[in-house]
Amino acid sequence: MNSGSESIRFHDIAAATRRLYDVVQALQLKAEFLRPAALDGQEWYELLRQKLVPQLGEDPWLVAAVVGGTNIGKSVTFNHLAGTCASATSPLASGTKHPVCLVPMGFSDRHDLQAVFPDFALHEWTAAGAALEESDEHKLYWQTSPNLPSTLLVLDTPDIDSDARVNWVRADAVRRCADVLIAVLTQQKYNDAAVKEFFRKAGAEEKAVLVVFNQCLLPEDEQYWPVWLNTFCSETGIKPDAVYLAPADRRAAEALELPFYERPWPVPSDWGADSVGVDLSPRNLNQDLSRLKFREIRIRTLRGSLKQVLDDRDGVPQHLKQLNLASEELATASKRLSSDAVLKIRDWPSPPNASFVEEIRIWWKTRQQGWAKKINSFYDTLGTGITWPFKMARNAIQGEAVPPIEKYREAEWSAILTTVEELFDKLQWMAESGNRMIKPQVEAVLQASTRTQLIKTLKRHHTSIDFDAELKNMISVEMASFSEDSPQLFEFYRQLHNVSAAVRPMTSVVLFSLGMGPAGEAVAPLVAGAAANAVVHVVADVAGGTTAAVAGEAALSTVAGQGSGMLQAWFHRLHTVFTQRRVDWLTNLIREELLGNLPEQMQAAANLPSSSEYQDVTNAVNQLSELLEQVTETSESVHGANADLMISDVNSDSVTDRISLEDNAEPLRSQRNATQESTES
Amino acid sequence: MTAHEQLEHIALLAEVDDLTGRLTRWVDDCPAWQTAHRARALMKRLLERVHTLRFRLETPLVVATFGGTGTGKSSLVNALVGREVTTVGRERPTTTTPVLLVHPDIEPEVLELDLTAFDVKRIDAPVLRDIVVIDCPDPDTSETSATGSNLAILREIVPHCDVLLYTSTQQKYKNARVIDELIDVASGCRLVFVQTHAELDSDIRDDWKNFLSSNYEVPEMFFVDSVKALQEQRSDHRPSGDFGRLLDLLSSQLGAARRVEIRRANLLDLLQEALAHCRADYDANEPKVQELIETLEQQRIRLKESLTGQLCDELLVNRTLWERRLLSSVTDMWGFSPFSAVLRLYNGLGAFIASFTFFRARTSAQMALIGAVQGARWVKSRSKENEAESTLERLSTFGITDQQLQESRLVISGHIHSAGIDYAMSDDRRDLSQLRRRAAALEGEFLGDAGRAVDEVIEELAAASGGWLTRVCYECLFLAYLVFLLGRIGHNFFWSSFLGPIVNGSGSHEPLLEINFYLPALIFLVIWSAFLVTLFTWGLRRGLTSRIQKFAQSMAETRLQHGLFPNLEETCRHVVRDNHQLTTLLDQTTSFRRYIADPSVGFLGGRREERTDD
Repeated sequence: MNSGSESIRFHDIAAATRRLYDVVQALQLKAEFLRPAALDGQEWYELLRQKLVPQLGEDPWLVAAVVGGTNIGKSVTFNHLAGTCASATSPLASGTKHPVCLVPMGFSDRHDLQAVFPDFALHEWTAAGAALEESDEHKLYWQTSPNLPSTLLVLDTPDIDSDARVNWVRADAVRRCADVLIAVLTQQKYNDAAVKEFFRKAGAEEKAVLVVFNQCLLPEDEQYWPVWLNTFCSETGIKPDAVYLAPADRRAAEALELPFYERPWPVPSDWGADSVGVDLSPRNLNQDLSRLKFREIRIRTLRGSLKQVLDDRDGVPQHLKQLNLASEELATASKRLSSDAVLKIRDWPSPPNASFVEEIRIWWKTRQQGWAKKINSFYDTLGTGITWPFKMARNAIQGEAVPPIEKYREAEWSAILTTVEELFDKLQWMAESGNRMIKPQVEAVLQASTRTQLIKTLKRHHTSIDFDAELKNMISVEMASFSEDSPQLFEFYRQLHNVSAAVRPMTSVVLFSLGMGPAGEAVAPLVAGAAANAVVHVVADVAGGTTAAVAGEAALSTVAGQGSGMLQAWFHRLHTVFTQRRVDWLTNLIREELLGNLPEQMQAAANLPSSSEYQDVTNAVNQLSELLEQVTETSESVHGANADLMISDVNSDSVTDRISLEDNAEPLRSQRNATQESTES
Repeated sequence: MTAHEQLEHIALLAEVDDLTGRLTRWVDDCPAWQTAHRARALMKRLLERVHTLRFRLETPLVVATFGGTGTGKSSLVNALVGREVTTVGRERPTTTTPVLLVHPDIEPEVLELDLTAFDVKRIDAPVLRDIVVIDCPDPDTSETSATGSNLAILREIVPHCDVLLYTSTQQKYKNARVIDELIDVASGCRLVFVQTHAELDSDIRDDWKNFLSSNYEVPEMFFVDSVKALQEQRSDHRPSGDFGRLLDLLSSQLGAARRVEIRRANLLDLLQEALAHCRADYDANEPKVQELIETLEQQRIRLKESLTGQLCDELLVNRTLWERRLLSSVTDMWGFSPFSAVLRLYNGLGAFIASFTFFRARTSAQMALIGAVQGARWVKSRSKENEAESTLERLSTFGITDQQLQESRLVISGHIHSAGIDYAMSDDRRDLSQLRRRAAALEGEFLGDAGRAVDEVIEELAAASGGWLTRVCYECLFLAYLVFLLGRIGHNFFWSSFLGPIVNGSGSHEPLLEINFYLPALIFLVIWSAFLVTLFTWGLRRGLTSRIQKFAQSMAETRLQHGLFPNLEETCRHVVRDNHQLTTLLDQTTSFRRYIADPSVGFLGGRREERTDD
């Protein structure tokens, strides 16, 4: 057996686990929109964090923890293990609030205890009562114990079933990082739901379990314990490595003289109430614990935890599957929503033709030279001079005339309000018919204060717009493109006064789109490539359809000298361009002020499974399961006992240390058999 | 039962009836608010239960065991009846089918329980004379509440129970599952606290009581050894210790006399808890409604400000109208005199010319100025024409624009959404006509107030500038010219052309004054009176601006009775009223529960009024 390659494989596993831990967190951040279940508190994640990341890649040690329901003698059992009153006992329930840990001599020099118990604030043990004090912080009291093998840590834990739920969290944390559980059970509690739940998880993680039935009425209960244990094992899937009975003897418990009687498990077929007598000598729990096969258990629990992490039903794959499902659900929902997420703006006001004409005249003037310019300006001055008195009279009678562009401003504000109102209607509809992921996001947008704020902002922006400049800008751009080698320019100018009322353009705004569905199709031809990912769009099409616009352009370019027809088409275009610019402005503002990056988030979340973060996790899982499989195969093909090579060569000191320990200590089971034989003989 | 006791019972019953009656009325008067709907749904279900309870007053109390597995529920029941009627075991869970113990004299059918789900046993035990006992399955071995699980069975039974015997042990008294379940079952039940396994465990009653006392009334706890008690009874001894006391109390204190009391206490518990639940829900959602009310109020203020502002502007512009009103009011005050006749004439002429403009009076300020009488006539004639047109016209000339309407609708609909009020703004979102009508009505109301205020201002101004000193001055000045004119004409007519020559005998008759005289005299009369009128009106106009500003101030202090959304405002008021009613009901129930049906009497405990944990 090539131990070198084995250790490399071990390193691979440690590295892969750590990578998995990292990418899972990255994915969680990425998937925020899908409201995934929090990682904290998920069994597989906690295993990864509390057990695998701190323990893989370290030299081996074993964590044994006394666990069980409240007030059934966990601390008493622990004290028997410690040989001293290390953890305070109390007749009242849920006494122990914080774990107490016995650490072998020198362990804390070789290892970082904090890394072993990442969730706990470590305190050196001072008095047994300290662990009884309530506090919000998770504390762990540790004490070095000379009686322990150098690689064994023993813990007393808080309960798993009292109303102080913080105790459960602490017990769960200890359970995950433990390799051996000393399960304290009583006839009242062995079938309690909370107890079963706790140990079912331990069973799945393949922990070594020593069962202690405490407070037994001996000898009456001799006939019951196999039934109890049977129920317990079938409910939790645990295969106990040893079973002990302890009598209900309060005085002995207090004096640290409680006898622990070992019982065979599974119960031999010839076992009966009368076979009890043969093994009445109590065992020393501490010694039995020291005789456990450390390496085997260590590997088993690490592998068990890894298996749990990679489990299809409870591990990362399930988490991924859920993310995938949520993502699909979101995609379906948003596809459904986007088909209705088109906002049609019907009555966006047409800008006044008079303003267009005026701007075009001004533009024209700037391009004229020489005598033409002089003549023009002469006529202009003359015209102004003649009309001045009339204008004055009109102003005096009717008041100052409102410039047409100001009228347009008012009309546009009206249209903006209507649009915003419809937008909110649409969003409300989305919130009502959207799913659990979309709803809260949209609801946040729908808050009353948001609306007031939005109107204020819009109004501020809207009043600060210089429409004249806007118009001038557009005209100069459009006219420049029009005038390029266009022979009809003068004809066009001559006809300017003929312009009749323009057709009102109709505009559509697509709020959410994933590039599919009717809305997506409407957007796709109009925005190219990368822009299709942007989700708020303006689609302007002139009433009568896009064909009208196309025909207009054709008329412009081909039918020269067609006079008013060309003019009409050209103005049509001007209107459309102007309206489009205005609606663009509005949608950009709405997007900035109201929707934020909600549409993009939605799209990204709907496409989560194709994101690199998701792929990273999938790869990490695959790699890890492959490695795990290889290890399992080799260890099975070679020999169960050799599997521990997986973690050998890491720390030669501890290996020798451990081997020496195993040399003295025969396996527990054979030892007991030997005792039996001796008593029989 | 003595006559006095009977009367007392009837009185208590009547009080419960009164309370439920009030509750029913409260339930029926539901504002269009989602939180209120939720509360109603809850209370309706509860009230149904109240009604069935009224018919159950004659049936015996149902006492059931409640506690974790292995806490000796079955042992306790066996010990209570003094024989083994339900299985006791050391395997968990032991009891999966509930056992119903009924005295042979009681027909189990009256209990309205689904008897097929029970193992019914007719036992002739003294303790069962007035009560029925149910041995329930445990709440803590089932990991889910799926049908058929112990937890599901337990939850089926508990609503029918009146008293729960809550058993626990040293190991189990802090069991989270049992505690959680207790929170659910304890409302509507009296509790008896029993620590079992006295033969093995230490006495933890103090700690237990301490632990429970934040949420429950814990009057007394029993520490019993059921096994010993059963043995004692079998050997015809009276059970000793706590068990004996428990047995006595169960036999003597749960009789017919206390049935009503206990059931009513349970009922009040339920009502109080439900109301407290509603209260919490209201508290969580009411601020949003307050916000809506606030916004509505703000909008009303803004509306009024804009109306007032516009009105003032226009009032300041329309000085001629002011003048006319002022003049007519001054002349009314002065009665007939030469100068006032001139003023009247001037005003009448002006009014005659202005009457054309009246019919063209388009701005609301002009309306207000024309005054209530003329204005009303004008409005009537106009409204006969086309109401919609006039409304729109007035709107377009006055403060409330469509944009404003749209803005406020947008803001309000947001608040309605957050507050969860069921109120359809309008079927067609683009249709503003309804809002416009509301705005016009509002404006009409506002102008009515404004018109009255303007009248007052004019009266005041007229009184200030039409004092007697002013009047005397003007009259004198005007009369001076008239006197001079009359003097000259009279001198010419009587003296120089007629009497003078006769008296003097000179014989030279001056000719009578001709048109050459009268024309300029008339012209100067006109000029003089015009000068005086101008002077007077100038005096009238002085201080007008400051008056109008003062007027605006006073208008701003008045309050618009309604806003743009009267129905919504009504709904909001309804919600506020509803909220107050709920508070009152809760207070009543709480005090009722505390004083009339004190639940912590004797050995029966129950839920506390205020949970400290929520």
